[in-house]
Amino acid sequence: MEAAEGLSRKKVLGFSVVFMGLAHIALLKQYIKGALFALVEIVFLVFSPSIVRKLIDMMTLGDEKPDLPVTMRDNSVFMLIDGVMILAVVLIFAALYYISVRSALQEHERAQISGSFSKNTAVISNLSGNAFPIAALSPTLILVVFFVVVPLVFSALVAFTNYSTPDHIPPNKTVDWVGLENFIYLFGGDATWTGALLRVAVWTLCWALLATFTCYFGGMIMAVVLQESKLKIVPAFRSIFILPYAVPAVVTMLVWKNLLNGAFGTVNRTLIELGVINNAIPWLSDEWLAKFTTILINLWAGFPYFMLLVTGTMTAISADIYEAATIDGANKFQTFRHVTLPLVIYQTAPLIIMSFTHNINNFGAIFFLTGGNPVVADSTMTSAKGTDILVTWIYNLTVNLLKYNYASVLAVMIFVFLAPVAIFNFRRTKSYKEGEL
Amino acid sequence: MGVKATRTINSIVIVIILTIVALAVLYPLVYTVSSAFSPGNDISNMPLIPFGKGVTFDHFKTLFSGSYVRWFLNTLIIASFTSAGTLLVASMGAYVFSRFRFTFKKSMMMSMLILQIFPSFVGMVAIYVILYRIGGLDTLWGLVLVYLAGNIPYNTWLVKSYMDNIPKSLDEAARIDGANHFRIYGTIILPIAKPILIFLTVTSFTGPWMDYIFPKMVLRSDANMTLALGLFNFVTDRKNEFTNFAAGALLVAIPFVIFFIITQKMLVTSLGGAAVKE
Repeated sequence: MEAAEGLSRKKVLGFSVVFMGLAHIALLKQYIKGALFALVEIVFLVFSPSIVRKLIDMMTLGDEKPDLPVTMRDNSVFMLIDGVMILAVVLIFAALYYISVRSALQEHERAQISGSFSKNTAVISNLSGNAFPIAALSPTLILVVFFVVVPLVFSALVAFTNYSTPDHIPPNKTVDWVGLENFIYLFGGDATWTGALLRVAVWTLCWALLATFTCYFGGMIMAVVLQESKLKIVPAFRSIFILPYAVPAVVTMLVWKNLLNGAFGTVNRTLIELGVINNAIPWLSDEWLAKFTTILINLWAGFPYFMLLVTGTMTAISADIYEAATIDGANKFQTFRHVTLPLVIYQTAPLIIMSFTHNINNFGAIFFLTGGNPVVADSTMTSAKGTDILVTWIYNLTVNLLKYNYASVLAVMIFVFLAPVAIFNFRRTKSYKEGEL
Repeated sequence: MGVKATRTINSIVIVIILTIVALAVLYPLVYTVSSAFSPGNDISNMPLIPFGKGVTFDHFKTLFSGSYVRWFLNTLIIASFTSAGTLLVASMGAYVFSRFRFTFKKSMMMSMLILQIFPSFVGMVAIYVILYRIGGLDTLWGLVLVYLAGNIPYNTWLVKSYMDNIPKSLDEAARIDGANHFRIYGTIILPIAKPILIFLTVTSFTGPWMDYIFPKMVLRSDANMTLALGLFNFVTDRKNEFTNFAAGALLVAIPFVIFFIITQKMLVTSLGGAAVKE
């Protein structure tokens, strides 16, 4: 058996950096592992010319070739997407390279301590042990990288191009990188667009805060009332109140949309018939009333979730605390105000934050109830209507107006706003605090 | 006023409040049911009092003589494959994240967390092009892939957190007995993680039933239409067949509600009384 003492760490590091797996084969006697690593690099090198070409394409995004037939012209969008995918592959390769270097150094360290290299049989059994996690994780990686990461990176990059109607829609025309132009245009460069952006952003924030707040406290009030009253009929009420949570939200929103229709919706017709009102109430066609209506209907659909949640949290509060409060002479309201409320809010805080981020992106509640309507002054130009929130505006910009570049600016904005919220929420979780990650 | 009288008044006030809320909750639901059985077509000639114009089964007949069954089957196929795929991929991924230590684990978990805050349709254009490249446009499997990928980040986290609570001593005991990772995953971890896996199967099965954006983007031909697309087409800006919509929605919503009522109790008890106690 060859001694491992003479081998320096520097040498192992040098060999493993020069070519993937070289240190494993030449120095550490791990032929199979080394060969697998080397194979990865060989495959990568074989494809490197086309990788480089794709990356150059991504940087230029193609040239206008008006003399060629449409199908043969440079398609900037394909180039950009291919570029992002290639970038993902390059990053995965870099990660594997890093892993191979680390593995060589670890094996070197192990050999220094034990004085001899691992036997090949041990390496093989180690490899088959590693085969399971690799095989089990690869579907996740492939799907997430190509169907989640690549599309999101692509739409983030589009924010820095001029991909939009009328002059930059492939395959007829090409798209170019424009730097921060779109951001400048939307954040002050153009009065109409900036105004629309400000209006929609403020409404998105108000909507998310109000929608979360109303549903949470609406749910809490119902939970407390149901909990406190000792009436026999309570369970029946509880089952009724859960119903909105069980019915699919799209159905709910579309039904309400029809019931609240200004001219022939059932709600207005009923109110007129009963003599409560003389003229139809424009539930969904007046800007401010429509905003109010969306929050109201969202309360209808959203309070049962929090009612269940708060009920569950309240039953988990120890009876001792209540007893202590009663002995101290607290009345029912004081007990609720100083014991139940703080405890429940503390327990459910992460879910309140999650619900807030969900509402920022709550496409369904707006799209199916109002469709963003009613139309306001700048709607024809910007496609942002009275009750549109950022995500529904992104949808309008993408599907109707074909202003992909502006849609992407909005997506980047949402990201910049929500990512810290998600990280903050994550830092409060149990698994993070216990350092299990 | 005596204590008893105050209490009675309190009870009456509470019952009144509860009744008002219950009526508000029931109003649109009862109305949908009544529209599904009412003669007529659009919302404007629906009776103001539910079932005020008698009962008819015409709308259900219209649905079944049309493409409703086909929409239903398409959606069922999509939902089943999405659900089974999510179950398999997320549980395997979660097992690896929970039980193995490897380079980049932390950054991978972190990026999954950040990714899941985005609605998938933000990347719509790129998803469309990628599906076009692999021939997945206007196919059911293309849509399944999109849903599957969208489900994975959040659900992997969910299952991973659950698996973290299963004591590692169980794995070690099995490993001493000679079981490999695959066996430990299949025969020890999966059965214990059953409550969370049921939850995941249910949520990923119900998701596709009412999704509208992705079917609209991916599916083109009538033969591949899903329920949400079909139902939504009954009540567009151009036409209003609210009764047909109500009938179709009712047929989907009833199993949902029944399913929800059954599973809700089961899920709460099984999530509450965790399978393993140390």
